Amino acid sequence: MTDDLTLSHDLYDNAPCGLLLTAADDSVTHVNETFLSWTGYRADELIGRDFHSLLSAGSEVFYATRYQAELWVRGEAREVAFTLVRADGTEMPILVNSRLVVSDAGDRSAVRLAVFDSTARQDYEREMLIAKRQAEVSEASVRVLQQASAHFLAATTEQEIAVALASATTDAFSAFDTAVMLYDDAGEFVFVVGDYLADALVELDTLRTDDFAVHVEGMTMITSQNEAYASSERAGELMRSLRAEAITAVPISDGDVMLGAFMCLFGRPREFDQRAVELHHALARQAGVVIARVKLQAAIRKLAMHDQLTGLANRNLLGERLSHAMAVSNRTGEPMALIFVDLDGFKNVNDALGHRVGDLVLQTVADRMSGSVREVDIVGRFGGDEFLVVCENSDRDAAVLVAERLAAEIRKPIAGIPERFPITASVGVAMYVPGESLESDGDALVRRADTAMYASKRAGADGITFAT
Amino acid sequence: MPNTLTRNNVTISGNPLGQPLIFAHGFGCGQGAWRYVIPQFEEHYKVIAFDHVGSGGSDVTAYDRGKYDSLNGYADDILEIIAELELEDVIYVGHSVSSMMGVLAANRAPELFAKLVLVGPSPRYVDDGSYKGGFTQDAIDGLIDSLDSNYLGWSSLMAPVIMGNPERPELGAELTESFCAVNPTIAGQFARATFLGDNRRDLAEVTVPTLVLQSSDDAIAPVEVGEFVRDSIPGSTYVVMTSRGHVPNLSDPEQVAANIRSFIE
Repeated sequence: MTDDLTLSHDLYDNAPCGLLLTAADDSVTHVNETFLSWTGYRADELIGRDFHSLLSAGSEVFYATRYQAELWVRGEAREVAFTLVRADGTEMPILVNSRLVVSDAGDRSAVRLAVFDSTARQDYEREMLIAKRQAEVSEASVRVLQQASAHFLAATTEQEIAVALASATTDAFSAFDTAVMLYDDAGEFVFVVGDYLADALVELDTLRTDDFAVHVEGMTMITSQNEAYASSERAGELMRSLRAEAITAVPISDGDVMLGAFMCLFGRPREFDQRAVELHHALARQAGVVIARVKLQAAIRKLAMHDQLTGLANRNLLGERLSHAMAVSNRTGEPMALIFVDLDGFKNVNDALGHRVGDLVLQTVADRMSGSVREVDIVGRFGGDEFLVVCENSDRDAAVLVAERLAAEIRKPIAGIPERFPITASVGVAMYVPGESLESDGDALVRRADTAMYASKRAGADGITFAT
Repeated sequence: MPNTLTRNNVTISGNPLGQPLIFAHGFGCGQGAWRYVIPQFEEHYKVIAFDHVGSGGSDVTAYDRGKYDSLNGYADDILEIIAELELEDVIYVGHSVSSMMGVLAANRAPELFAKLVLVGPSPRYVDDGSYKGGFTQDAIDGLIDSLDSNYLGWSSLMAPVIMGNPERPELGAELTESFCAVNPTIAGQFARATFLGDNRRDLAEVTVPTLVLQSSDDAIAPVEVGEFVRDSIPGSTYVVMTSRGHVPNLSDPEQVAANIRSFIE
């Protein structure tokens, strides 16, 4: 019996692992020799001390949040990895198995712990961990860029590119929201994505100073609300109204041409390392190239579909729009109108004052016509001094109003043209009424409007005739 | 878009006609963290418990890295649960990081909340000038390391528990597993959202009557932080319990329940 007891004591004290008993509240009540020799503490230094206070700060958080919850809920925890801090301050990786001791009355009275030295494992694991993290980081970057470029390739409009860019940045940086701002043809910026963020972001940009918005290689970043508040109360409030703790902003360009920018919003303070900055730029570059391509395509399309002198729709586009309007009319049952305008007196101007002045007249008339129709109407140059206006969803009364306004606008004197060269319009209007009109295509409707216009011309010009 | 109640594994118990009482779990566990407290309120209250996305029995496919990068996304989920269940006059009890989520939710829609109970709250864990949150940035990085080494796979017995593998009979207690499960790929980002956020400014905006429950010795949310929360929330009630540790709802559920009861009744 005595031998057994001695044996037990020996096994306890010299076990190949550290053994501890703590009270339910984590304070140490018993500790074996192995643990003491590993850690360099004396028993009296540990008795009464909380076990978690022997761990590194990071391990302590894991211990208090995850491990203890697990222990209380399940009654045991096994092979949990911690870092122990020895008496001399050096660190020792350990694995812990523990079990909650429940008394017969059901009270949780103590915790038994077995502690294993995992130094050997630690080195290997550490290397694996570093390798795994590096692999994950580069894998994530590649994946983000691949997905983004696939979406960019499929995009046909600036809007679609902006949406793809926003979604890629949210994915890449865990931003909770992203705004994309692009310059339009007039050089004005438009928030294509995240318009509701525009006011605050624009104001924040005006408040931006070097103390709270850091520039790194062309990228601007605010890393916390505190930083913004320290600069100005308003800057902080704006960040707060956006619910943003951090913001990054990166310009989008194609070579030297500035196309816009994107701004990522983050829900907590953030730091951005070299890799993150590079990935921001890589996405901006990809988007920039594709936006430039789409802009070029739009420009080519505009050239093919518009009259170079006046900028109005040309015969191709007019034909397209007219067919579309007739199809809509057939579908909805609503009538539409086609207005044919031929200038009176234009030939005289051209012959007497030259082509250059003639071109000026055509441009002026084109501008006035565009300004006197409804938003939905399409004004186009049919050829020479002939113009067409396609009025979708328009009854006779509406067509009369538009035709009269056109005639009145054209009749006004043109600066630089002497009064003896008056310019007026002979107008013909053809209504297309689904179920009544016989035309099956746009050309036939144009011929009817042309005939009506010719009737106005014969009646002495500067008049409006409705086709029968 | 998954159903809100499935997404957050919402469970409802207690008195269907009672005032709604929501329990929200903290970092490192699931709704199981409230299992010893909840039964004490089921007679009179309609008790709602749930798992944050990435914890317990939540729908992990609903995880969105942008949304859940800060507590704002989690606070939105709480408001969505309240809306889905058409709750009003809500008493919200949040443990650890969930106390700040409750603050954010209550600041956004104070009309829905009757009372807030914050168990071991901290608006910021990392020290900042004269503010002592109790942690350095290095300590939080150490936690991320700790998460990684525990979820890497060598801690083999921790891993199946985390993934909720009921096929391993030697683990026992299958029932409890999903109560405290944590998705390892999400745990790291949840840790960053929890420990690297700064919600100090939100405290002053609280208008709902609030109880702050502080453990006497909490390594995660020290007494000084509890006092900071008390001083920052206008008119709050502050109780320091004799319980020790960061999870008094598991280690001393009686005391936690008694304090909640005397505040809400």
